[in-house]
Amino acid sequence: MNKMVNKLWTRIFIVAAAVLLLLFFSNDFGLIDIQETAIVVALGIDAAQEGEGYDVTAQIAVPASTGTSSAGNVTVKGVQTVGEAVAELNHETGWYPTLVHCRLILLGEEVANEDVFNVLDYFLRNDAVEDSCLVAACKGKARETFQAQSPVGDISASAITKVLSSEAQATGIVTVTILKNFAVGYYSESESGFLPCITVKQEADSQGGQNADGAFAPAGAFGKENAPYALSLAPSIKRNKWWRAKKRPLPIAAPVSAEGGNQGSGGQGGSGKSGSGSSADVFHASETMLFYKGKRVALLTPEETLAYNLAATDTDYAYGSVDVSENGEQTSYNLKMKISKKKRKLTFENGMPVFTFTIRANARIADTDKSQPIIDVAKTLLVNETILRAAEEKFQSELASLWQKATNAGCDLFFLKEKLHRFHYKRYAEFKDGVPEIVQVRYDIKFTSMK
Amino acid sequence: MDNMKVRQICFYFIAMMPVVRFLVYPATLSYNSSNDLLFSAFINLLLEGAAVALVMLLAKKTKLSLFGLIENTFGKISAKIVYALFALFFLAAALLPMMEQKNFVLLVMYENVPSVISFAPFFFVCLFACVKGFKSIGRMADIALPVFAIAFVALILLALPQTDFSALLPIAGVPIKDVLKGSLFSANWYTEAAFLLFFLGNFEYEKRAALKVISSYAIGSAAVLLFLAVFYGVFSDIAIRQYNAVAQISKYTTSFTSLGRVDYLFIFALALVMIFRLCVPAQMCVHCICKAIGCKPFIPALAVNALLLALTIFLNYSFLEVQTLFTQKLWLMFLIFAYALPAAALLLKKRRRAG
Repeated sequence: MNKMVNKLWTRIFIVAAAVLLLLFFSNDFGLIDIQETAIVVALGIDAAQEGEGYDVTAQIAVPASTGTSSAGNVTVKGVQTVGEAVAELNHETGWYPTLVHCRLILLGEEVANEDVFNVLDYFLRNDAVEDSCLVAACKGKARETFQAQSPVGDISASAITKVLSSEAQATGIVTVTILKNFAVGYYSESESGFLPCITVKQEADSQGGQNADGAFAPAGAFGKENAPYALSLAPSIKRNKWWRAKKRPLPIAAPVSAEGGNQGSGGQGGSGKSGSGSSADVFHASETMLFYKGKRVALLTPEETLAYNLAATDTDYAYGSVDVSENGEQTSYNLKMKISKKKRKLTFENGMPVFTFTIRANARIADTDKSQPIIDVAKTLLVNETILRAAEEKFQSELASLWQKATNAGCDLFFLKEKLHRFHYKRYAEFKDGVPEIVQVRYDIKFTSMK
Repeated sequence: MDNMKVRQICFYFIAMMPVVRFLVYPATLSYNSSNDLLFSAFINLLLEGAAVALVMLLAKKTKLSLFGLIENTFGKISAKIVYALFALFFLAAALLPMMEQKNFVLLVMYENVPSVISFAPFFFVCLFACVKGFKSIGRMADIALPVFAIAFVALILLALPQTDFSALLPIAGVPIKDVLKGSLFSANWYTEAAFLLFFLGNFEYEKRAALKVISSYAIGSAAVLLFLAVFYGVFSDIAIRQYNAVAQISKYTTSFTSLGRVDYLFIFALALVMIFRLCVPAQMCVHCICKAIGCKPFIPALAVNALLLALTIFLNYSFLEVQTLFTQKLWLMFLIFAYALPAAALLLKKRRRAG
């Protein structure tokens, strides 16, 4: 009898434990009321329009049964901290903001003039936002960037995250940074970092096929290479054009159609519904903002950005154009490059630091600007030595240019101080104040033809 | 006799021992020892490994339980007093990991801030384990091994692409004083030798059991060191802010994939093993109380779990104080109970007195 009671208790315990564990792990106690919750997909932080402090814009996803994605922007103005803004969002709208789905933190241009960790430390102090979220800076105001209209119907934050995708990083068009990596750079010996710089360009009417508000000059004004874009009826994202000599100045970004959506004021809600199909904006992130001690110090051009990606990030494949003089005629070759080896090493020679870039790449011709005999088209994998050497020179010059720009600005872009600390600790005290300025740079770049 | 198998003890050291060091321990160690955290951890592992080896040597020489050994040497009253002291020690040793686990569950597995009571179901599981005794530890170890092996390997593989092992350099760049301080202030995460001491007399010593257990301990230790190395490789200078390390290291690889946080599957699996491991000090505590006052386990188990639940709720907003107390103030208690006493047990009389 006693044994039976014991067995019964054991079974009751097991069933109870299983049920409780199920509840424990399934988070069934944590259901949220979507009607009362603001699902923040992106946060934009600007310097306050009036007085000191910040204007914080939350882009809030609005769930819809129709399947069309939309979002509203709510701006809380004149707060002293981001934490205050998040709390204010709740007080003034009645929505409880949930930040776990926030995938993007966008910093306005003026915020970057001060130490950006004045605001970013909020996200490090708590886990409200995952530190795997993207961080970017933008030209102008983050609030206005969020109000841009994506040409493919996305909400603007979603469109920006697509521009900053890992695929874009893999092809070297943008330098993607997540909060964790940016914070690691800031708190490292180098105290440096970089953020992609988002610019909004009003490209074209997404349905009407007209240039948007005359912001762009006629196609002919930008030469042959820009013609297809200008004539195109659909908005398009312009490919990175590095290595190509700039025959004419690049089109200047149109003033952002910032006031398109209703904007919140002092916590008032507004809707910035995107993708309605009227005017369309394109997000560019091919420039890179450099930071030292949290302040922006320089801006890399798209060409320098690509060179940096090829030399230092996860970019393995990229396209680049190079001009070669053949038989007295200038020919432009578009090369597809595969980086097979990239190495950056800090060594000491005669007691002085030397930094060497070692890069090996395979190249093939993707296109040229002139028609060629069919035999040359068939042999597209074979790139002649002249083109390869021109590519090496161009790469080296872009790398040298960005090195100079970063060093002059005080940004330790290649984290030399950190390398010095890790790999040459005994010399750290001696050289930490001189690096990277006193470092001699060497370039060992070799392009070969794909076989 | 509450029998365990040597195999299960080995599985315990491989699978259940490391998991308790995957939450707050890495960040705490980084705070004290910075990039030399592996040295601090190695010192602890070496000391604990030595204590484990000495306990296994004792197991080879006697079939008596610890209670029997103390009774044999100092008498029954002394044995009861020692068990009562160990009961207090195990109760204390259970508290901080439990609070770590509670914070981990509430922060990582819940989207909004949940009620502290959401963690309460754990105590029912723990109550069940406490009532069932040591045999359940063995069974939990059997279940934990495959779960741990798959989840741990998967998480490490997911974290590796984001790991820069050069962050561990320069070697010996941190003053030795800080490395030792790191070891000392993390003594509370090293209580396994004390657990093994109470397994004495509850498992049959078989041929080469000591070698098997010590090898298993070495494997578990290697898992801890690998985890710490990957952790610091991923976070380097901001490692000290990364509580709940196990939920953090792999997310950078998975966040941007179309699958999303697929690593949560493995984090959940390790959370299950952690739950098993958290029960162990509470089980030890109940065992000691039962031996000290001579009663059945149900009432002590109920009391211990109720007390731990109450403390967890009462100290809900005092995690930092509790952590500071355990790491910076009570380290001596852990050194005595988890290292010194298991090693000293070798001096106890190993054979029953005649008559």
